[in-house]
Amino acid sequence: MASERPTFSPLWHRVRALKPRLRPHVQITRQHYRGRRWHVAHDPASNQFYRLSPVGYEFVGLLDGRRTVEEVWSISLGNHGDGAPTQQEVIELLGQMYSSNLLAIDSTPETEQLLSRGRDRLKRRMAQQAIGLMYFRLRLFNPDRILTWLEPIFRPLLNRWGFLLWLAWVGYGLYAVVPHLDELQAMFKTSMAPANLIWLSVIFIIIKAIHETGHGVICKRFGGQVPEFGAMLLVLVPAPYVDASSAWSFASKWQRIAVGAGGMIFELAIAAAAVHIFASAPDTLTKQLAFNAIFTASISTIFFNANPLMRFDGYYILSDLLEVPNLMNRSTRMLQHLAQKYIYRCENLRPPTTNPTERWILIVYGTLAVAYRVFLFITITLYVLGQFFAVGLVLAVWSAAAWFLIPLGKFVHWLAAGPQLAEHRIRAIATTLALAAGAWLCLGVVRAPDHRRAPGVVESRASAGVYFGAPGRVVAVHKRVGDRVRAGDVIVTCESPAVEYGIAMTRAELAEVQVQERMYTAGNPAAAQVARSIIEAKSETLRTLLDLQSKLEVRAPQDGVLVPGAAGRDPGEFAGVHVQRGQLLCEVVDPDRVRIAATMPTSHAQPLIELPPGAYTVEMRSVSMPYDVVRGGGVRIVEAGRRTIPHAALGFQGGGTVEIDPQDQRGLATKSSEFTVYIDDLVKDGRAWRSVPGERVTVRFTLPSKPLLAQWWHRVEKLLQARTDI
Amino acid sequence: MSQALTRYSALFDSVRSRRRKSDVPKGLDVLAARAGMLVESRRVTLGWLRAQAEAVEALSGEIRNHSEAALDQVISETREAFVRGRHDAAVVRRGLAIVREVARRCTGEEAYPVQVMAALALYHGRIVEMLTGEGKTLTGSIAAPLIAWRRRHLHVFTVNDYLARRDAQSREPIYRRCLLRVGAIQQEMGPHERFEVYARAIVYGTPKQITADWLRDLIRMGAHSSAWTGRQSLIAMGEAGGGPMIPGLQAALVDEADAVLIDEGVVPLIIARARRTDDMAEVYRRAATIAASLDEGPDYTIDHLRKKAELKERGRYRCEQLFAQAEEPIWRARRRAEELIRQALIARHCYLKGHQYQIVDGRIVIVDEYTGRLLPDRNWEHGLHQAVEAKERVEVTADRETMARMSFQRFFRSYPFLCGMTGTAADATGEMQTVYNRPVIRVPTHRPMIREQWPTRVFRRGEAKWNAVAAAVEEEHAKGRPVLVGTRSIEASEHLSEKLAARGLAHRVLNANFDREEAELISDAGRGGPNASIVVATNMAGRGTDIKPDEAAIAAGGLHVILTEMHGAKRIDRQFIGRSGRQGDPGSAQIFLSLDDELVRLHVRGVAAVMRRAGTGEELSGAARAAATKLFRFAQRESEARARRGRAGVMKQDHWIDKHLPGM
Repeated sequence: MASERPTFSPLWHRVRALKPRLRPHVQITRQHYRGRRWHVAHDPASNQFYRLSPVGYEFVGLLDGRRTVEEVWSISLGNHGDGAPTQQEVIELLGQMYSSNLLAIDSTPETEQLLSRGRDRLKRRMAQQAIGLMYFRLRLFNPDRILTWLEPIFRPLLNRWGFLLWLAWVGYGLYAVVPHLDELQAMFKTSMAPANLIWLSVIFIIIKAIHETGHGVICKRFGGQVPEFGAMLLVLVPAPYVDASSAWSFASKWQRIAVGAGGMIFELAIAAAAVHIFASAPDTLTKQLAFNAIFTASISTIFFNANPLMRFDGYYILSDLLEVPNLMNRSTRMLQHLAQKYIYRCENLRPPTTNPTERWILIVYGTLAVAYRVFLFITITLYVLGQFFAVGLVLAVWSAAAWFLIPLGKFVHWLAAGPQLAEHRIRAIATTLALAAGAWLCLGVVRAPDHRRAPGVVESRASAGVYFGAPGRVVAVHKRVGDRVRAGDVIVTCESPAVEYGIAMTRAELAEVQVQERMYTAGNPAAAQVARSIIEAKSETLRTLLDLQSKLEVRAPQDGVLVPGAAGRDPGEFAGVHVQRGQLLCEVVDPDRVRIAATMPTSHAQPLIELPPGAYTVEMRSVSMPYDVVRGGGVRIVEAGRRTIPHAALGFQGGGTVEIDPQDQRGLATKSSEFTVYIDDLVKDGRAWRSVPGERVTVRFTLPSKPLLAQWWHRVEKLLQARTDI
Repeated sequence: MSQALTRYSALFDSVRSRRRKSDVPKGLDVLAARAGMLVESRRVTLGWLRAQAEAVEALSGEIRNHSEAALDQVISETREAFVRGRHDAAVVRRGLAIVREVARRCTGEEAYPVQVMAALALYHGRIVEMLTGEGKTLTGSIAAPLIAWRRRHLHVFTVNDYLARRDAQSREPIYRRCLLRVGAIQQEMGPHERFEVYARAIVYGTPKQITADWLRDLIRMGAHSSAWTGRQSLIAMGEAGGGPMIPGLQAALVDEADAVLIDEGVVPLIIARARRTDDMAEVYRRAATIAASLDEGPDYTIDHLRKKAELKERGRYRCEQLFAQAEEPIWRARRRAEELIRQALIARHCYLKGHQYQIVDGRIVIVDEYTGRLLPDRNWEHGLHQAVEAKERVEVTADRETMARMSFQRFFRSYPFLCGMTGTAADATGEMQTVYNRPVIRVPTHRPMIREQWPTRVFRRGEAKWNAVAAAVEEEHAKGRPVLVGTRSIEASEHLSEKLAARGLAHRVLNANFDREEAELISDAGRGGPNASIVVATNMAGRGTDIKPDEAAIAAGGLHVILTEMHGAKRIDRQFIGRSGRQGDPGSAQIFLSLDDELVRLHVRGVAAVMRRAGTGEELSGAARAAATKLFRFAQRESEARARRGRAGVMKQDHWIDKHLPGM
């Protein structure tokens, strides 16, 4: 049903006889949005805007300070009939334009009204600041003079050819960066080190200042004004900003987009330059700085400024590209409208748009923006909580109030006193309660499965190290990693000239002493006694040497499969290598007797510890055979709260998912506290599971079902606990 | 010279009052305003008032012994103190004691302690609830001098011109003695006379008169929104006339405050003139014809509660066919044309003769919803009046163009000082506080009230109710008691009159059609005995009428009030019932309801219909009756809330314009 537009308004008499006119300095530009013509009135002095439809424009155009509003209205009625604005619409138009300083009305200006309007504006600004503590704005100065000086310098470049040049430059930068990708990636890991953070923030501020200059210069180039430069505390990180909103009145959408993209254009040019500096940097500091510049000016820009879901550059660019002005506001209103119409069944609503395409744009954008906002809130809160706990907590509570409680309060107020609900408030309240009850039922009462996942690795319970028994050089390799061996099988053969020579020499000496002993036995019993003791010693030496000789053939100590030892080397790698006695060659493990070692964060493990062993089930899937489900039992949770993982393969460096302290060479020390979980009994299809040790698995613990809210609350609680004990 | 100065200062005050725009709090400010109101209302409590009244009593002994000359001396001193801004509690007490004494000497009436308390509450800007017959006139006249001393000009608002004139005359000696001049604004006064009256310190008048004069000032002074530009016009106009009529709004004392401030608060007072060119009569007549040819249901639906009509698809189509045959160009503009049809439908279904209007001498005259009186100089706006005229086939007058318009709500909010008296303020406490920032205080009665409230009777059908009412009237009449029956519409009062005539009961009817006999009828309404009076009245008998039962009536049990329907607001019911049991007289009241009364029909139609069908018998009893009375009370609250929302909406709109546009 089309909404009613009553022609008459009871308040008409208050504007009827006024003789307003546009203020002389107001500029009007024509813009096109989705094929419809609009006129934007802009007051450069106070930077206020008002968007007029063609009929409204004609209406305002007829206000010349001599005609009364009544006269103009009747002209408009004559020209447009039903299309003419109604009295109520005229009052709204005049009121809004007058309070935006766009209209002058014949009577002498009412100072009090002007002052109170100013006060109101200030109050609103303060309230916005207070609510958006995560985006605190601090006005600094008027950059007009700087920009007026800079703009002619850049002017020759600010055209189509300049754009092509820029494309080429950025393309060249991209081309140049390719060979250095590995290096950059390596630097990325260390760039968060405290030593670099100061440099990073300095570079960040400089580059963001250049970014804002970019907006300003391009805005200036197309004739806009930039009256304000300031700093915004984005989640406590200071970032500069400029007020380039005068660009909204540009007639060409490409010019508006250019102003919006100006910051990124300048930044990417800097990033491309930094790539070359990086490539040819003489020392590490320059390299580090260049890296910081590349990182800030490209990655952060693209993820942050270009993101259209937040109110930064990307948003305005998108809004202009889609030709949907005031995208954020109107999409929120669109969602509200839908809720009012379909959930609360209000009548006589005015939808934010009637254009079907625009409607869908608003709905899609609105949904995404809301989802993103929730996501952002959670991530930022967690991040800030992790960094500065006390401040973070205050910020989190504050933003929760601003983002959830205030809208909730407004909603409750609307429910209690909203004029659209006047006729069926009780039904609306019942609907809301039913929805809330439904949500509560789904989240708070219905039990949902509760899982914990943990990465694990297969370990053998029966493993034996294979060591070199004698020093020597490996001459033959008989078995490799993965080969099955039986006890006594030779794995590698070594040769040792020293042992061979020793044996020969000892044998010769032994023969000599044996002869002497036989000589003395008759005449000199004392000397024979000495010779016998020498024989004994030499025989001993010979036995040892022969033993060593036998150990030159390294044999498997037990049945099983060869796996690399801690050094992680294959026997094949030892070919021709001189080895020491006692050096580890490899391990032999029994694949029939394996267990799983898994690791999980303390917060995850807590419920497992609290529950009796039978209360949860354990299942796992190996990476190589993901469709086979293995059931586990005999869970042991050990090493409470230690900061190590049981196996390097679980860590970041070993290809796993757990974050590892980069200082640790073994790749076992973690940053947060971890529990190690051993699972001894592994059963697949009723039989013991066999697997190769070292294989990665994902372990899933299925806990008793619990309502989702309880699960979430539990997680938050654990998270806070984990954060507080840092 | 001094006259020029006076006029300039009048101009200055007028401009200042005009620019006074009180804020409507929003958001958290609402809470702050409420907290402020709580503090403010704790400042003046009954206990405190009682203590002050005792102190005044103590002072009176001394003042009573003053000679005339000595009294004049202290009057002059106290006045001086007030004028110079020294008005601490001791000075106020002294002033009150003096004025009380003056009143005693001039009129022979000695104010009771409760009246002194009420006067003090008025002085402190309270809306005072005082029951009927508790001497509101005297209370007002001892508070007025103090307020006028302190605030220079006081406007006292009365219910009608007659009361304004009567009170101004009867109180004149008191005020003159207090060095204050008094005057009353009357309908028939010319501008020069009004000028002169408004210059006096205390001005009696009806809200309508004074608001209209204020509006005329606004129109006249419209262009001069500052004292500076106004001064030039003053010079330009020279000595003859010019300048504002009302020298600013300083203080107001409102009698029947809830009626004026709440019920009529948003009924706009409009100064309008007929449009110069108007050939719309034919259009309205055609709209009425088209509307009559459409069928309710398939073509359109009517929402009686919101007074809205909705055309359906079939109705639209039929209208379009009919528009094509009409020659006036307005029928080509579809939206406007449909609006006209909707308006004609509303005139047809929601505005009924005998309820909303009467036809007097071939003209449509609006009947006031709250007082039941005819409002001959009021018109509905935006063509509704014309639509009703077209429907009734009387001459279609020219549409009028609003020159200026102001609601009482907006007008009274312009007073920096506001106080009031009424019999029923407690039910409107919330609104008095939020809209006018005035706390309400309930002053106890001088003598205890002994009126009996008989149990409410509920019937399934209207007809059964009317029969029962007639029977009840007969019964009480037989006891020799005077009976006053209240009806909601003129039509109902006439219907009941027939019923009573059928039973052979001599009675008189008071409604807008017979308003000339009002005074005589009321003075006779208290007659008891075998010839006891029976009066059937619309709300006209509700406010300001003081029915004094005679001795025979008191002996028989006093005045019996029967209310045949519940009104949209509980206050109006209480007002009407309050006609009996005044000043400790005996009396009784009873309410008769039926499940097809307008109140439940509009607000809880479904439930009422179910209750009507369930069970047998004409009258409900036991639990069913209890449930039904609850239902009526619920419907009444709904209706009160709806009215309140409407008033809040008007206030918001006014505020928006004040904020966003220049001018008055």
